[in-house]
Amino acid sequence: MAQLELLDVGHCYVPGEGEDRWALKPLTVTFEAGKTYALVGPSGCGKTTLLNILSGLVSPTRGRVLFDGADMTRRSTRERNIAQVFQFPVIYTSMTVYQNLAFPLECRNWDSRRIDAKVRTVAEALGLGDRLKEPARKLNADDKQLISLGRGLVRDDVAALLMDEPLTVIDPQLKFSLRRRIREISEQFRPTVIYVTHDQYEAMSFVEELLVMKDGQVMQQGTPEELFESPRSAYVGYFIGSPSMNFLDVTQDGSGVWLAGQRLAMSWQPPAARVPAEASGAGAAQAGVLQAGIRPEYVRLASAPGPNTFPARLQAVRDHGPLRVLHVEIGGQRLALKLAREAGVPHGDTLLVELPRAKVLPYVGGQLATVVAG
Amino acid sequence: MTLTARGLTLSVEGVDHLRDITLDLRPGRIYTVIGRTLAGKSSLLRVLAGLQRVDAGTLTQDGTDLLQVPVWRRDTAMVYQQFINYPHLNVFDNVAFPLRRAKLSGEQVRLRATESLAKVGLSDFHARKPSQLSGGQQQRVALARALARRCKTLLLDEPLVNLDYKLREQLREEFRELFSGVGDSVVVYTTTETTEAMMLGDEVIVMHEGRIVQTGTPAEVFDAPATTTVAQIINEPPMNIIPGTVTGGRMRLNDLGAVDLPAHLAGLPDGPCQFGLRATDLSLSSSEGLRGDVTFVEISGSETFVHVVIADIPMVVQLEGIHDVSLGDAVLVTIRSDRLFAFSAQGDLLVAPSEQGGR
Amino acid sequence: MSRAYLTFKYAFIAVWASFVAGPFVWALTTSFKDANGVQGGATYLPWVDYKPTTRGWQDIFGGEGGVNVIQPFLNSLQITVLASAISLVLGSLAAYGLSRYTYRIGRMKNADIVFFFVSQRIMPPIVLVIPFFFLLQFAGLLDSIPGLVIVTVALLLPIAVWVMVDFFNNIPREIDEMAMLDGCHPFAAFVRTILPNSLPGITVAAMFCAVFGWNDFFFAFRLTFTEVQTLPQAVVALNSSIPPWWTLSAASLFGISPLVLLAVWVERYLSRGNLAGAVR
Repeated sequence: MAQLELLDVGHCYVPGEGEDRWALKPLTVTFEAGKTYALVGPSGCGKTTLLNILSGLVSPTRGRVLFDGADMTRRSTRERNIAQVFQFPVIYTSMTVYQNLAFPLECRNWDSRRIDAKVRTVAEALGLGDRLKEPARKLNADDKQLISLGRGLVRDDVAALLMDEPLTVIDPQLKFSLRRRIREISEQFRPTVIYVTHDQYEAMSFVEELLVMKDGQVMQQGTPEELFESPRSAYVGYFIGSPSMNFLDVTQDGSGVWLAGQRLAMSWQPPAARVPAEASGAGAAQAGVLQAGIRPEYVRLASAPGPNTFPARLQAVRDHGPLRVLHVEIGGQRLALKLAREAGVPHGDTLLVELPRAKVLPYVGGQLATVVAG
Repeated sequence: MTLTARGLTLSVEGVDHLRDITLDLRPGRIYTVIGRTLAGKSSLLRVLAGLQRVDAGTLTQDGTDLLQVPVWRRDTAMVYQQFINYPHLNVFDNVAFPLRRAKLSGEQVRLRATESLAKVGLSDFHARKPSQLSGGQQQRVALARALARRCKTLLLDEPLVNLDYKLREQLREEFRELFSGVGDSVVVYTTTETTEAMMLGDEVIVMHEGRIVQTGTPAEVFDAPATTTVAQIINEPPMNIIPGTVTGGRMRLNDLGAVDLPAHLAGLPDGPCQFGLRATDLSLSSSEGLRGDVTFVEISGSETFVHVVIADIPMVVQLEGIHDVSLGDAVLVTIRSDRLFAFSAQGDLLVAPSEQGGR
Repeated sequence: MSRAYLTFKYAFIAVWASFVAGPFVWALTTSFKDANGVQGGATYLPWVDYKPTTRGWQDIFGGEGGVNVIQPFLNSLQITVLASAISLVLGSLAAYGLSRYTYRIGRMKNADIVFFFVSQRIMPPIVLVIPFFFLLQFAGLLDSIPGLVIVTVALLLPIAVWVMVDFFNNIPREIDEMAMLDGCHPFAAFVRTILPNSLPGITVAAMFCAVFGWNDFFFAFRLTFTEVQTLPQAVVALNSSIPPWWTLSAASLFGISPLVLLAVWVERYLSRGNLAGAVR
């Protein structure tokens, strides 16, 4: 398994286009050997372009692709030695399960005893150990998809395993077991996996790190927990988590940060001198707005006034089963919070909510204000 | 206007799809049908729509035998899980299609189609073809067409299942608003998801293997599932079911040591039984609890489902928030015994923990 | 891609293109020659290689010593248009039924029925022509346009059904279901929602029908005598012991002209039709 590096790689499909309209804006990413990564984002975010650049289907407009330090930018897919799993299972219907798994090795002229041992190990891991003699076409969709995966795993020399929405055609009931299988297999074989999906939760369920993409840019790279706990932008806060993160407009003066006429303490103070609004486009107006972000999971109902507690009006209650989502209003701004079912529905429509200081993050112009600018 | 089904039965090529379905669906109410894939949900909708004949049973509305009325004379609209629209018609004509078939005046057609499209937020898309829209927008067109007709019966077959997560979240919320405007229609909505069933339904109908296994308000079904099967269907992740025994006021979960029965289960008779515990009533602890091995970790929305095996019993622990838990880790799991459900050995509910939250 | 490969690729394409276009170019130049012009080797450049004349073209439009092909042309046109139209109407109805409903004839199911349709085209035409002869004779339709229309429909219908079944199968059933839920009788659902969405398929079927119908020589040759002559027959009749190549060329070009025009006109539908069939 190899370490994959993208150095200042960018791509545009229309030659001569301005860089701000590129399908993939220049970026530098390192995919470490033996780790699992997911590229997630809405359609058109550039994730498929990025995957195709790794596989060699697309040759990037600029930048270099390195596999274990070797420049692969202009090499063909075949030379890059990668295994791919696509949306639809790709299997040889005329062959048995065994033959399907052995095929990539036969093509590389391995001797039959070595092939046999390897095929059996992989088949065992796939849970297809006792079905080797069956014709592959008789398997159901998720087993077929496992074989597509297995064909990548039998080769020891594969640089990376690229998966492009491999669960799309799988019945929702089978998704769980297949997801679990794939996760177990990747724990056992430790390949470098790049997994592309539009389903952020599917991705979080089986990779170590996610790259959240939007408009051809990587918005944030990190573990699921990092993305959840400290989303670097409002977009990540919206995209990860359900319901999405709350963002409340707040004001700041010399004495602190204010929400609905009350002081709001945050885990860290936002930079006092605001980043000047970028002098371009409609975003300029938004650029300097200061917001407080907090996950619905961390908002609590308070019984008595205290620091960071705010009076709120109850707007709606949504029963999700084990918990309820309460939509409340603080000073004209909407806020969602989660409440365990056993806590019941609060009486009356005036509530006190507490925004725990440690969980309130400052955002300036939609970006987490981690670095004090100026 | 009540839609009355009695003993609807359907089998196709030896496979039972519906078994003895008896229902009263009242106008102005939203019924969510929850069940796993192939539980018979779609068959039920197709029978209600008249797209599927039944082997036995009756279906009546306003004293009319609906089974004798062909599809095109019924007053029923349906939204499919695939985004089904007329590809050759633009968005406006798609919505206007049934209205024109119903011989409404041109003015009426224009008014209703425009209003309906505005409701689903597609006012600016009248002239587009469905193929030029995103999946979510296509489903909105289908919904607008169904709503514009103001039918007696509105059927939705897992309308959100093919959409991505954030869109599902958003449309789920919008559906509540949209359905509140359907007046005295009967709305039947099938789903596999707890959240949709609980959030959208005035009543929940739980189906399993072609049968209706429980009906009631969302809270009734969720707080007191009639059987272990219902408990597993209505909870996501499915409720943990643990075989156990009760002897002289003490209970034993599988092979674990005997402990005193919690107060709410005090009256349980001696003998084998099954205990149920929601994933939310288990938690990971750093200091005490039962030792378990992590076999899988799933993330759904903002929750982490940790699959563990404790003394050979697979269980799911639901954690609020997203956490990095590694496979194969040994963890300590605490169980809230005051939240235990007790089921008979056959799986019928004996005692449910009391809920403060009932509305 | 290497330069050598590119060179080879374009060379191959050039060879293939001239292989395909060659006969047309030959026919086109020959149609403007006379007996002197066709002597010796093939020549292509008018005024340089040979002296152009419109003799061939005059011959086929009633010139002296030639044959007038106008009437056969109109006959062929009538037969092709009528037979294609009837085949398309009947064919799409049959195909819709076969696509949406389940039929059983003994042990045969839908797929077998479709194959049964197509299998008529597998049989050698000579097997069919004898019964057709007696049937038309019995009905008094030998040597008549209606008779040929009926026979041509029988020949075209299998093609129409075969193409359309495949096409309808690719349109989700939910669309007709939706139309019925929206208040359409099944026939209205077919006309209002399925047909408009199968235009590419209908175009492909129509194209096939037109080509097969227009080019039929064998059946027309066997089932007509003096009253009715179709264009292919007329072209063949031009032949004699010393082939008048210029007249034959002009007649052939004139004969294929409607198909060429049709092909150009429907090309965009046709390519969409191919695509729709391909991305299943």
